[in-house]
This record gives sequence, structure tokens and C-alpha cells, in this order.
Amino acid sequence: MVCAAVSARISPEYIEEIYQVRLKPCVAETLDLNIVVNLVSATSQCIHGTVIAEKGDMYNLDVWKVNSILGRDFKYPESLGERNAIELAHHISFAGRNLIIHQEDDKVGVDTNNE
Amino acid sequence: MNDKIDEAKTAVLLTRENPNQAPDPYRVEELLGLAEAAGYRVLAEIVQRRGRDHRFQLGRGRIQEAMTYSPSKLIFYNALSPSQVYNIRSEFSTLPIDRFNLILEIFASRASTREAKLQIELAKLTYDAPYVRNVLSQRKKSEQPGFGGSGAYDESMYNDIKSRIAKIKDALKEVESIGEDRRQRRRELGFDLVALAGYTNAGKSTLLNALTSAGVEVRDQPFTTLSPTTRALDIRSRRILLTDTVGFIDDLPHFLIKAFRSTLSEISEADLVLLVADVSDSPETLRRKLVASHKALWDCGSRAPIITVLNKADRLTVSESLERLAMVSDLAPNPVLLSASTRLGFVDLMQLIYQKLQPLKEVQIKLPYTPEGMSELSRLYDSAEMLDVSYQEQMVIRLRGKEEVVTKALSSSAREL
Repeated sequence: MVCAAVSARISPEYIEEIYQVRLKPCVAETLDLNIVVNLVSATSQCIHGTVIAEKGDMYNLDVWKVNSILGRDFKYPESLGERNAIELAHHISFAGRNLIIHQEDDKVGVDTNNE
Repeated sequence: MNDKIDEAKTAVLLTRENPNQAPDPYRVEELLGLAEAAGYRVLAEIVQRRGRDHRFQLGRGRIQEAMTYSPSKLIFYNALSPSQVYNIRSEFSTLPIDRFNLILEIFASRASTREAKLQIELAKLTYDAPYVRNVLSQRKKSEQPGFGGSGAYDESMYNDIKSRIAKIKDALKEVESIGEDRRQRRRELGFDLVALAGYTNAGKSTLLNALTSAGVEVRDQPFTTLSPTTRALDIRSRRILLTDTVGFIDDLPHFLIKAFRSTLSEISEADLVLLVADVSDSPETLRRKLVASHKALWDCGSRAPIITVLNKADRLTVSESLERLAMVSDLAPNPVLLSASTRLGFVDLMQLIYQKLQPLKEVQIKLPYTPEGMSELSRLYDSAEMLDVSYQEQMVIRLRGKEEVVTKALSSSAREL
């Protein structure tokens, strides 16, 4: 899986400015909360501000619980601007994942040709 | 609250609160408002904090307590599974309904147009379909078809539902495409489309009446408006069509939003959305309603600029209103404090609407002195602001108008010449 963190300034409606985008791939056998939180934490390291993620990503836990597990400000999306930012992060992580998968495919293709 | 409360329709409200989450008194309050809007006389409200009971949703004791009031219905805030409905009906001999069915009941009692009736039927069938399929699959597990069994599986009910859903979807698609054509025609006639959206009972219809003297039905209860109503409004040189729509509510199932897509397309396809909220609500409620409205706007795919109209500001002092506004500033784009009943803040709203609409384009075109050219000129007089018309070898026209009007004028000018 690939986690994408988008650092942005948002208005209630739109994304006003994107400062930084970070991607972090991870391979895990299970997908428990600790792995997700560690991945989110590592990806959003060095990025200031409040972390926003979809409810499903954090197993629908209460905000205060995620806050204490993550050890920094956290919230679920509320405004259209926040939802736009999450959608952008989804697109980026999906594209990153596709790139990694296709890179692997290309490698397999090269090997086969060499043989 | 509701002048149509039927004395024979009595209900007890039951809410199960998750023990892992903070208590939420607003749920009970909202369920009470919905029950009264549906015409029920509420005998009691029962709240229990516990995990979900797989047989009755709440504990048996709580339902027995509710039955001591002898209600005609039990209304649950939490969603009921078909087996829970069956269990409660057979054990307590009363009809239980959940919040979603209560909302559908309100909708069904107020639906007046064919479109609204189809949308409600679609929502109901979409809700029922998986349950019917589940019942059929349960039957298949214990029975054998054909010889020695009860014959072929009776799947006709599920197939009937599926074919009816398909028919309604087709009919609604037609309604939607008619709506899309109408919007396009209105844009080409130079109208800006502005939609009133917001949580139910926020005062959208009152605002429409106050802005346009529309005379639509207004009541202090949820879901008074179901079908969209459009009225004209002029702000300086802009001709605007203002559309009142159905209100939003918390935790709406996504298929209900899908069923009401043709109505909600008035919001998603608008040039500007006026998001109406009741500023006199408590800060927590106001925030919650704004979050629900943002979610609904997101779900219906609205990308238009938003003006947040904080209605009913006359119920608060200026400092209180400003304090509330500061608390929800992250959810209130372009806020205006307003009172639809006392017309407070109308000037600010008009100004903001004018600013947020897409600016008009200015172009110069030439038209020949042919019947087509003359009829195009006549159309432009109706749909655009004519800055200058000079009659030379050809008619040279300088006009200012909406993008759609200008594009159409340029294309007809190129065609005529």
C-alpha cells in the first residue's frame, strides 16, 4: 500500500495552496490500526498542522482516540475543502501505487526478454 | 409544532446510544421533530446506552417499558434489520419503524409531483431489495426445489423489484435530462442559476419568499419542501433564477441521495449555492448541521461557489451572532448574517451574490439584415445587456452577457455571415 500526505492551505470550499506532497510505500501482511497509524505518522512527519484522514482509514475510531494514538492534532474531514484535499491525496496515493506495480511489471518484462 | 398531529397516531421514540461514544441529546431532539412532522403524537422518549441487541436493537426491558404507553408505533433512531422488525412485531404486537422509514413516510405524505413520488418509490425499493434477496436466500438454504420440494424458487418478488427499480431509474433519467435541457435553455436566455441548499428547517423557503415574494409554503417543521421551486430575482443587471430545494439531514443513506439525484441536480448544476443555516441553533448543533450540509453537497457533486447564509440572526444579539460565526468560520465560506423574516442583511447578501456570480463577458458581433439576423438581434435584446447597436453595412452589436449567451451569439454571427 501507499500512503500520500498532502500539505495544503485550505478554505472551507477549496484547496488554496499546496505546499508539499509526500508518498510512502509499505508492505504488510495485515492491516491493523498500528500499521496504519505508523504509516500515517511516518508520512506526515515534518509536516506541520492538523492531520485529516477519512473515518474508514482509522477504523471509525473517535477523534480523541486517534489523537492520542497518533500523538498530534487529528480530525476527520468536515468541510468541502478538507474533502477535496483528501480526494487529492487518494488520487496521488493511487497513482503512486500504480507506478510501483507497473515498475514491477516492467522489470518482469525486461527479465523475460533477456531470457 | 405540527398542526396536523393525528391523535390516533401515537409513538414512543427509542434511541440506542453506543457506549463507546459520547451521549448525543441532539439525536432524540431531531427524532422528535421528525416524528411530529410525520403527524405522530409522541408519548415518551426512551434512551439506552448499550451494545446492539441482535433481537430487538434495544434491551427487551426497554421495549416492554415503551409498550406500557400503548403506542401505535415504536420509532427507533437506529436502523432496524428485517429480523429485528419481525421479532418486535411478533413479541410485542406493534409496528416498529426506523428513522429512515420515518423520513420516507414524511416524504410520501408530502410528495405532490410525479418526480417526487418516483424518487420515494425508488428509495423504498432500493432499501427493500437486499432484504428481500436475503429472505429468499434463507429460504433456499432450507428448501429443495422441484420433485420432493416446494417447487421452483419463488424469486418473482425480487425480480419484480429489480425491474421496477430499472423502470423508475429510466423515468428519472428522463426527468433529469429534461431538467438539464431546461437549465441550459435558461442559461442561454441569460439567467444565472442560484440554488438554496441547507439543513432541513433552516429557513430556505422563507428566504425564497422574502427575496422573490414567491408565496411557497413555509412551516416550522422539517421537510416542508420536497420538490424544487424556482422564482426570478433581479440584482442590478443580473437576471437570476433562485431555486428552493429539499433540505439535508444527518446520516442520510447514500441511496436516498442517489434517489433524489434529479432534485439535487438543481444544486449540483447551479452557478452559485446559497447554503442556509440557522444561526440561532446552539454552536454544536450549528456546526453539526453545517458539516452534514457540506457532506451532502459533496455527495451530490456540487462544485459551485458557496455563500453561507446564517439565517434567523434576529434571534441573537449582534455580538452573539458574530461569536457563532467565528466558531464555524472553517465551515462557512462567504458568510452573511441575515434574517429572512425581518429582512436584516439583505443588502449584504445581494451584493455578495452579485460579486460571486461569474463576471459577464463583453463582445462585439456583426449580424446581416436578414430575417435570421433580425431574430437573433431580438433574442439578444432579451438575453444580454446591449451596450451599443449601430446600423452600418451590417448590424454591429456590442453586448455584455453570460458565457453561454456570448458563445451562442458568436456562433450565430459566424453562421449568418
